[in-house]
Amino acid sequence: MLTFIGLGLYDERSITVEGRDALADADRAYAEFYTSHLVGATVEDLEAYHDIDIDVRDRAGVEQHPEDILDAAEDEHVVFLTAGDTMISTTHVDLRLRAVERGIETRLIHGVTAQSAASGLTGLQNYRFGKAVTLPFPYAHGADGVPKSVTESIEANRERGLHTLVYLDIKVGDTPTSSRNAERFGDKSDDDEYMTGDYAAEMLAEGWEDVLGVVVARAGGENPVVAADRLSALADREFGDPLHMLVIPGDVHHVEADALRTLGGAPDDVLAENEV
Amino acid sequence: MGRRKKIVQECEKLMDKPEQIRNIAIAAHVDHGKTTLTDNLLAGAGMIADKGEATQLMMDTEEDEQERGITIDAANVSMTHEYEDRNHLINLIDTPGHVDFGGDVTRAMRAVDGALVVVDAVEGAMPQTETVVRQALREGVKPALFINKVDRLISELQEGPEEMQKRLTDVIGDVNELIRGMTEDMDDVDDWTVSVEDGTVAFGSALYKWGVSLPSMQATGMSFGDIIDLEQADKRQELHEKTPLSDVVLDMVAEHFPNPLDAQPRRIPRVWRGDDDLDIARQMREVDDDGEVVFMATDIGMDPHAGEIATGRVFSGTIKKGQDLYVSGTAGTNRVQSVGIFMGGEREELDRGVPAGNIAAVTGLRDAIAGSTVSSIEMTPFESIEHISEPVITKSVEAENMDDLPKLIQTLQQVAKEDPTIRVEINEDTGEHLISGQGELHLEVITQRIQKNQGIPVITGEPIVVYRESPQKQSREVEGVSPNRHNKFYITVEPLSEDIVEQIKLGEVSMDMPELERREALQEAGMDKDTSQNVEHIHGTNILIDETKGIQHLNETMELVIEGLEEALDDGPLAAEPVQGALLRLHDAKLHEDTIHRGPAQVIPATREAVHRALIDGDIKLLEPIQNVRIDVPSEHMGSASGEIQGRRGRVDDMFQEGDLMVIEGIAPVEEMIGFSSDIRSATEGRASWNTENAGFRVLADNLQRETIMEIRERKGMKLELPQSIDQF
Repeated sequence: MLTFIGLGLYDERSITVEGRDALADADRAYAEFYTSHLVGATVEDLEAYHDIDIDVRDRAGVEQHPEDILDAAEDEHVVFLTAGDTMISTTHVDLRLRAVERGIETRLIHGVTAQSAASGLTGLQNYRFGKAVTLPFPYAHGADGVPKSVTESIEANRERGLHTLVYLDIKVGDTPTSSRNAERFGDKSDDDEYMTGDYAAEMLAEGWEDVLGVVVARAGGENPVVAADRLSALADREFGDPLHMLVIPGDVHHVEADALRTLGGAPDDVLAENEV
Repeated sequence: MGRRKKIVQECEKLMDKPEQIRNIAIAAHVDHGKTTLTDNLLAGAGMIADKGEATQLMMDTEEDEQERGITIDAANVSMTHEYEDRNHLINLIDTPGHVDFGGDVTRAMRAVDGALVVVDAVEGAMPQTETVVRQALREGVKPALFINKVDRLISELQEGPEEMQKRLTDVIGDVNELIRGMTEDMDDVDDWTVSVEDGTVAFGSALYKWGVSLPSMQATGMSFGDIIDLEQADKRQELHEKTPLSDVVLDMVAEHFPNPLDAQPRRIPRVWRGDDDLDIARQMREVDDDGEVVFMATDIGMDPHAGEIATGRVFSGTIKKGQDLYVSGTAGTNRVQSVGIFMGGEREELDRGVPAGNIAAVTGLRDAIAGSTVSSIEMTPFESIEHISEPVITKSVEAENMDDLPKLIQTLQQVAKEDPTIRVEINEDTGEHLISGQGELHLEVITQRIQKNQGIPVITGEPIVVYRESPQKQSREVEGVSPNRHNKFYITVEPLSEDIVEQIKLGEVSMDMPELERREALQEAGMDKDTSQNVEHIHGTNILIDETKGIQHLNETMELVIEGLEEALDDGPLAAEPVQGALLRLHDAKLHEDTIHRGPAQVIPATREAVHRALIDGDIKLLEPIQNVRIDVPSEHMGSASGEIQGRRGRVDDMFQEGDLMVIEGIAPVEEMIGFSSDIRSATEGRASWNTENAGFRVLADNLQRETIMEIRERKGMKLELPQSIDQF
């Protein structure tokens, strides 16, 4: 039995009760934190809270060598943990399919995901989001600067009046730097780095200085921050500890506008551009 | 004022008058007398003492060159010469004749407009003569001929005027045949063959410092008979005084070699593929010293005080101290620390800078390597100077004392910068670094330099031959899957035709050139039209064709596809040797929606795996380097000499008489040729003279494939089992 459990947004207590119970019943627990990360809790915190040893796998340990996870799941209760929801903005459906291929029973216990927080904290309606994108660090992809697919997706959403959720890259020490990028940026393969909202706003502000953006910081934590302003203005602010994400609103409904003004401090003149 | 200072002032004055400048190289087969000739020219220009014999070799500045009596690196010097009441500035680059250092020759040719080809009258045109003439013509450099050691025909071989004439005519004929063959298809040059009548041929003795040409004989009134008489009577000093070699040769240089104003309009389109209509293109064609600075580094040397010195040709503008210049292939700019010209082995710094049309020595260009384009605005770099020979032999180098390790690494990196035909692989984990070059001597010289000049005691391994891997047939379509299994790439591989491989090696096909030209060049070499239109990348002698249509996000993923492909090709599937001559087609790709899930960690392994599997399906085999071998030997030793080729898995292709010697020509694998020099000496009682030249790679015999692959894998610490799908041996 292989159960995928989402740990939720922030710390050891962000898990659902159902997830906690399943974890308590498990014979063995695996986790990965390269797709996202719980900022409010360490692995030790998790182990202590749930009273179980957690085997944290790197990318290769999940993607290339998942055999032992699957072997164990053949006759034990095995859980696989990730921050947020295990199936949102990850590629773990592949692991689930491999298990199913081997005749292993699988189960999914959802976690609260950033997507839900982005909509919830900003007051932007989930009905009105278009395609989501990840903004990668310049060294972490094959093109220069902001990948064209990112700007194109935002552009296409805006044309249709839709909001874009921009996930911000996190980099945990196992991602190889391509050799071309290693030349330009230095070898980053051992660094941990979280992209901040101001950094992302600065990258996107080029050509989009006056476009409205909303930074959401530490969603799921005790004091989450929501800040709505021009991208160029957001680029000059600081939003504290990770994780951050960015929303580029499209056309805003009047209640959405009220929410951005009240909850995110959006200046009226910037909002006016997006109101229809 | 010292004599030297005076010459510098003269040179300085002439630098601004391009019509009075000649940039020349001297190129020849080893031992045919280039360096001695150069010393004659320098003595003639008053730059070294005119002693009885030109024994003190001015140009050979490295200690090991003087000891070996051969020139190893190209060295440079500027001098002045008066011809027809006009003073001329002659910038001379001496080039090595030994075949192992051919890369230096090719690069030197980029900097000059005329090549003085030196041929030994007794030996005639030799394989290396052919190579250097080809290198010159390919760069659009005009040749003239000096036939050296004529004194030996007269005094040693006691030849009469008729025999001599026949011999000299034969040499001229051989050289012209070469020139004709190479220039036939060049529509930018007219007849470049040399002749006595035109004055593009001179004869003489560099050793005894006399020389003649038809114009000089007309001027001095001396006949061939007079010369024979004086030489036979051992009145060589008189001969030298009456008809000094330096005057004859430098007159020929001034009269027949193009000045930069004549040469650059023709040469720029040949060596630079940028947009013809740009200002910078015009400035280069017109040798505009007020234009943007364009400098091409042809050589990087090391000076214990000044650091790295980049030598090269200024094609446009005036290069000066303090300028911030772009170096092709690197980001940002380098600041010029000093600019000067060479006087013998020394540099003379010139604060006024060095204007277009001259050869300059520049310090401060820390990012430049031999072959870099250096310019004041960002521009299309010059055609990469392709040297046809690839490294064929590798040696490991280790520091004897661990403390020397950082210094050794630095020195090795320096060596690679100075000589791009050297390849260096630094392995900081094992401390065993690999250095690859053109032959045993090449590596021996380099390692000796590290020991002597840098004072780093090193342990070197046995020389190891460099292999290649190459597909033999078309593969089926192979799927490469990323680790997260959300990205897939579909690839086939097939062998590239030899013609296309050759064109890539010659630099006639490259990613630096405009797409249209590349397409035409490929089609001319036999590639079909559709394929030639979809060339995405060239790596080594391998080509990637993108046959996909309209796949979203592929363009921003292509860089990573290429990186995976390059990794796969640098370390082939058989023994991690470089792959050559593969045509890869990307037929289809399936990509994840988000950039993060199709990043380097996904795409690079996926394409690497796909390329290797396609190569294996395309019957990839191991190739070994081979050499052309020529042995000149008295007929009584012919049998044992040819046995030395045949006994080395070699093949004798031709045997013929030339003068009183037999010539044996054939080919043999480089691996078997290690240690040849001592074996041939003992087999022929030291009577053979011989020459080898790298002749590319050849598929290793089937019965040796598996064994050799395993040997290499063992040496490299790789797994000793091949992928199961390999069943071609």
